[in-house]
Amino acid sequence: MSHLLEILDPQFLSRNSVYISLLIGFLAPLPGVYLVMRRAVFLGVALPQVSSCGIAFAFALQGWGWIPHAHDSAQERVIALGGSIAFTVGTILLLSLLERRGRGMIEGRTGFVYAMAGAWSILLLVQNPFGEHGMLEFLRGEIIAVATVDVLWTAGALAAVAVALVVFQKEFLLVSYDREMATTLRKRVVLWDAFLFSLIALTISVCVMSVGPLVTFGFLLVPALIAHPFAQNTGQFLVISSIVGGVSALVGFAIAYAWDLPVGPTDLALLGVIYAVAMSVRKGLELIRARSGATAS
Amino acid sequence: MIVTDSILLKLERVAVGYGRLVVLSHIDLTIDRGAFTGLIGANGSGKSTLLRTLLGIQPPLAGRIEFPGQDGRPPVLGYVPQREALDSAFLVSVEDVALMGACGRVRPGRFFPRAEKDWVRACLREVDVEDLAPRRFSELSGGQKQRVLIARALATRPDLLVLDEPTTGIDTRTARAILDLLRRLHEEKGLTILMVNHDLPALRRYVKDVIWIRDGGVARGSVTEWLRPDQMDDALGPPLDRKEKGARD
Repeated sequence: MSHLLEILDPQFLSRNSVYISLLIGFLAPLPGVYLVMRRAVFLGVALPQVSSCGIAFAFALQGWGWIPHAHDSAQERVIALGGSIAFTVGTILLLSLLERRGRGMIEGRTGFVYAMAGAWSILLLVQNPFGEHGMLEFLRGEIIAVATVDVLWTAGALAAVAVALVVFQKEFLLVSYDREMATTLRKRVVLWDAFLFSLIALTISVCVMSVGPLVTFGFLLVPALIAHPFAQNTGQFLVISSIVGGVSALVGFAIAYAWDLPVGPTDLALLGVIYAVAMSVRKGLELIRARSGATAS
Repeated sequence: MIVTDSILLKLERVAVGYGRLVVLSHIDLTIDRGAFTGLIGANGSGKSTLLRTLLGIQPPLAGRIEFPGQDGRPPVLGYVPQREALDSAFLVSVEDVALMGACGRVRPGRFFPRAEKDWVRACLREVDVEDLAPRRFSELSGGQKQRVLIARALATRPDLLVLDEPTTGIDTRTARAILDLLRRLHEEKGLTILMVNHDLPALRRYVKDVIWIRDGGVARGSVTEWLRPDQMDDALGPPLDRKEKGARD
């Protein structure tokens, strides 16, 4: 508990890291809810890798001299964010277009994208003379050293995504749940899908640049997977996922600080424990209900 | 009172299909306002393709689909899909599902106003599932889901209610209750209904006329003319399908 209070102190040396963890913990699960409901969990695994590849590509462009070399961290961030968003949005739109055509295996395509993005991230890193300087920092997701400007960037982007998800919830839910009905109501299904995917892509891009692909995948999907059996509707699903993610981020940071562990992997390990406990609770509740039902009959 | 002298839907030389594959062609068809029409045909005959085209989900390959008598206003189509098409991974309550019917009238980014919520509640009450409003949709029985989907379609304030096999996979008693509900909505509210249904004996008791898809085209007739007990076998499909069905039975 003392460690928890310590990291929440405004004078805490790594307070920006705490803020970033909390922002991602509370807000990254929100778009993840739609990935889980649309049965696109594999996409949530692949896209952070694609985002990393986009960052690597953006830095490679500097190495090849195709774009001017960044002179400060703000320029680097813009270049990295541009590459990340371009790759993530492009990939998610391409995959959704192929899904609409209904040809081939969705899982196969997603796995292929994951493998290729991972491979090309490394290849681009290896051949880039500036890789060690800027790219590794982004790809590693350094939670410990976070500048205030990075916190503000992340807060602004994730807050915008959260507001959009709440304000347009009925449209996103309709086109995700029953696109044929949405079409009969003259909704522009393709545009709403593109908007939702863009929000997901923006979240992934911002999170990957702050905490790296592994932690992004974890906070995007695992809180939603934990919350899914316990929610009755989409509103509850969003709220429970967000609370699970936020509390895990806070407690995970405190554990990592107390035991001198890396923050990201500690967060994910904690989420894994919560997931196991939640599934056990769910199974227990089902057994109790089944027994009480059998007794009643 | 049901008005049957005005045309709600008109198809002229329409062809439907996917890409270059023409499933049905040269379709000339009208549906009157206040009609209760059954759409029948063998599996794979093109019923769903025609339905999807009428609903605007896919464009016609040729011809014109018109909704005359709407004074330029686009028609509102209340669609009741096959309930298996709706994924149980979505955490939506019964009220969430029914509220989707009101989405066409509420602008993007706006929350549902009280009047729309009240209307949706009234639609749930109309089909006798208001007490299920907070329940998760995926946990309902087949008959309850069907009623909720009908409530959702009613919530659109439809000019035409279109149902795709509403009684498939439901026990006989529940199926009868669903069809009784549709008949009541048709008779009391003058609702125009187009329904795909494989249960021909049941269809015979409820619909007034039949659109029969066969041999790549569409034919039209009255229930008494086409759904006589001795003729129902012909409506089930081509001889091969009937032989397979007999073998299964």
